[in-house]
Amino acid sequence: MFLRNHWYVAASASEIGRKLFRRVLLGEPVVLFRREGGQPVAFEDRCPHRHLPLSMGKLDGDTLQCHYHGLRFGIDGRCVRIPGQDQIPPNAKAKTYPVVERYKWLWIWMGDPALADPSKITDFHWLDDPNWGAKGSYLHVKANWQLVVDNLLDLTHLAFVHETTIGNAALAEHATVKVARAPDNVIVTRWIIDQDPPPTFKKVGGFVGKVDRWQIIDFAPPAFLRLDVGATPTGTGAPEGRRVDGINMRNLNAITPETETSSHYFWAQAHDFDVKNPETTNKIFDQIQTAFLEDVEVFSAQQRNLDIIPNPSQLDINADTGVIQARRILARLHDEEQAALHVTAAE
Amino acid sequence: MPEFEGWQRVATLSQLRDGEAYPAKLGDTPIALYRLNGQVYAIDDVCTHEHALLSQGFVEDCAIECPLHQAKFDIATGKCLTAPATVDLKRYSVLIEGEEIYVSTAPLK
Repeated sequence: MFLRNHWYVAASASEIGRKLFRRVLLGEPVVLFRREGGQPVAFEDRCPHRHLPLSMGKLDGDTLQCHYHGLRFGIDGRCVRIPGQDQIPPNAKAKTYPVVERYKWLWIWMGDPALADPSKITDFHWLDDPNWGAKGSYLHVKANWQLVVDNLLDLTHLAFVHETTIGNAALAEHATVKVARAPDNVIVTRWIIDQDPPPTFKKVGGFVGKVDRWQIIDFAPPAFLRLDVGATPTGTGAPEGRRVDGINMRNLNAITPETETSSHYFWAQAHDFDVKNPETTNKIFDQIQTAFLEDVEVFSAQQRNLDIIPNPSQLDINADTGVIQARRILARLHDEEQAALHVTAAE
Repeated sequence: MPEFEGWQRVATLSQLRDGEAYPAKLGDTPIALYRLNGQVYAIDDVCTHEHALLSQGFVEDCAIECPLHQAKFDIATGKCLTAPATVDLKRYSVLIEGEEIYVSTAPLK
């Protein structure tokens, strides 16, 4: 299941230059590159003539030439030259996609181009806000994108998968959790009061005693998870909104389906303390990355089982509340998108 | 405040918020308290479908929706309103003494 009429992260801005870059997104091969002026461009990575990936071709200025028979395409996808043939058929066109560069990521619209409104891009300003330090990365995940969304909406797994970094038992056993929902949004709020900080928080925050820790997960469809996370010394007022002497971070996640069983996982960690010190940024990033690599192992192991037993029955527990609400939103949006497609097809 | 025979003190009024469940224990039984239009209600907190804690679900008008599979129950009566659950929740008498909330240790018939 893919939702097409949404903006997705196609690549980090730094990944894309004048070299043709192929990536499969929502089951479609895409080639990304920058124009001579620097603006990012995305084509379907398939020549409309005989299907060779255009990424095997080359750029000549802002013209893309196919490696097979030398057809050339302009920036709007229109064929501008067919070697040995003067007349160019009006339908000779490669498919292109709207692309926007924002928050150090390149965003792509894989749905109906008429609906592509850049103001609908999900806010990730922490990635380039001078008041925050941030570092991000990309992971290729051999699992369905919804397994990654599930993972970020149920953080009880930190106590078990990530006990050497960001998890400890307090998180699963001594938390109060609230789930709030809106038509297109789920917020899971978890407070862990007067408990030991996990290893990463000791390293990064220098805590000596007990802490009040929060995890406020904001899910926006199709697969954006922005986590407000941190801790302060216990009893200093964080639950009432006074965050002092602690650490305040954002864990930022954007997942883009590659196929039904593989995903592109763009993530970053931002912090609002010691923001100009790359050593701090790197130290935090390294800790979180260790945890995320542990997650990637979990996803692919889940997917391997699901490949053998598709749609098995599953046990739901209370911690799944956020996961279930998010999956319901995604199913509804998918139904709406399919219904709109059928209306268009009938017209 | 003395304990009354057949009643158990489970919470104070200030712990309740409109539109939110307050989970409590009646002996070993998980129950949930709700305040709706100035009235306090007490019903079982375990969904009769698959054991989810209803107090972690969603209050919609006068009903509580299970967080996992969307069964709904009437908060005032415990009546099951929608599938996948089919069995009603037990409900309990509530007695308010000043700030204290007492719940009957035996469910209402």
